[in-house]
Amino acid sequence: MKVFLAALLFAAIAAVGVSILLDAIQEPSYVAFTSGGVRVGDPGNNLIGPG
Amino acid sequence: MPSSLSTLKASIPRALCAAMALLFVLAYPAAAQLSFKPTAESVHEDQLLNALKEGDKITGRISIPDAMAASLIQPAGRDWRDFHRSKLPIIGGVAIIGMFAVLAVFLMVRGRIRVHDGFSGAKILRFASFERFTHWLTASCFVVLALSGLNISFGRILILPLFGPEAFATMSAYAKLAHDYLAFPFMLGLVIMFLIWIKDNIPGKIDLQWLKQGGGILFKGQHPPAKRFNAGQKGIFWIVIIGGALMSVSGWFLLFPYLPANVTALQFWTVIHAVIAMLFIAVMMAHIYIGSIGMEGAFDAMGTGEVDLNWAREHHPLWVEEEQAKGHAPSGSTPRAMPAE
Repeated sequence: MKVFLAALLFAAIAAVGVSILLDAIQEPSYVAFTSGGVRVGDPGNNLIGPG
Repeated sequence: MPSSLSTLKASIPRALCAAMALLFVLAYPAAAQLSFKPTAESVHEDQLLNALKEGDKITGRISIPDAMAASLIQPAGRDWRDFHRSKLPIIGGVAIIGMFAVLAVFLMVRGRIRVHDGFSGAKILRFASFERFTHWLTASCFVVLALSGLNISFGRILILPLFGPEAFATMSAYAKLAHDYLAFPFMLGLVIMFLIWIKDNIPGKIDLQWLKQGGGILFKGQHPPAKRFNAGQKGIFWIVIIGGALMSVSGWFLLFPYLPANVTALQFWTVIHAVIAMLFIAVMMAHIYIGSIGMEGAFDAMGTGEVDLNWAREHHPLWVEEEQAKGHAPSGSTPRAMPAE
């Protein structure tokens, strides 16, 4: 049981670690696929978001 | 009249060209129909789409960094969407429900595979802690990957009507995140499994004998020879390694789109990923069945790591002899400690 729980814990920690790593080295799509002239300053809010 | 003669001479080639052009248009009416102008006749979308043949696409000119955004219409995408919406659920449904039905019939006909001589009470170490850790790391990730992957193919049909759109969308978003990130510990588990178990999973002549006797699981009382892993387990090992490698490579291309090449290559790898996944899940259902309710005493191997000596003798007699020769297992005849049933 301990081995099983250790495997689950390791999988969860590894997944979180990978998510942090990928988040750090990848660009958001609004940066990667747009040019500076059309890039919005606050994506999700200043054009199509509330208010 | 020299000027009128020269005019006549000049007009003859023009007339010939016009006649040939007219002949070409009359002879090839389909070619004439295809010569429409997308900008002037954009309202006729059906005509435009139907005119595109396999491999054709309509492209534009763009100035943004994503050069592939210049592809406006690519009919191959409709075939790909049709595959995912209609054909893939059928493949997956047949594979998974079919395997479930086969296992249910097998359990009803054959029953649970018992230890023929009953449990001895003596134990032998089958898998060390690190081996079990690797197995459960890979297995737990696989379960989440399988369920979150099946949600992509069947969620709209099966779960959306039950949960409603808001709950289904939230659940699917988290499932997709789990799918993306748990893929990495899954791949790590695959690599470790390959390294620690490859030496015991090389096919040999003894495996043919095991296969000829149906692994000893089709008929009661048969115990074909096997070393640490029998031919069935070796088959599972190579399915996991090769299938897992295909899933990993294709999954990597889905995580990082356009890494292989263009959108056509991306579509190809999504199909590979989806089809292998369905078959993989079906095979793993059989593995889970035989490792739990299908065979008495089998779960202990990955549960505590130790199996009963009589169980080991019946299913892996040559391995038991090797372990006894090394002094890793109790030797001699082992009395029957408890009845099998």
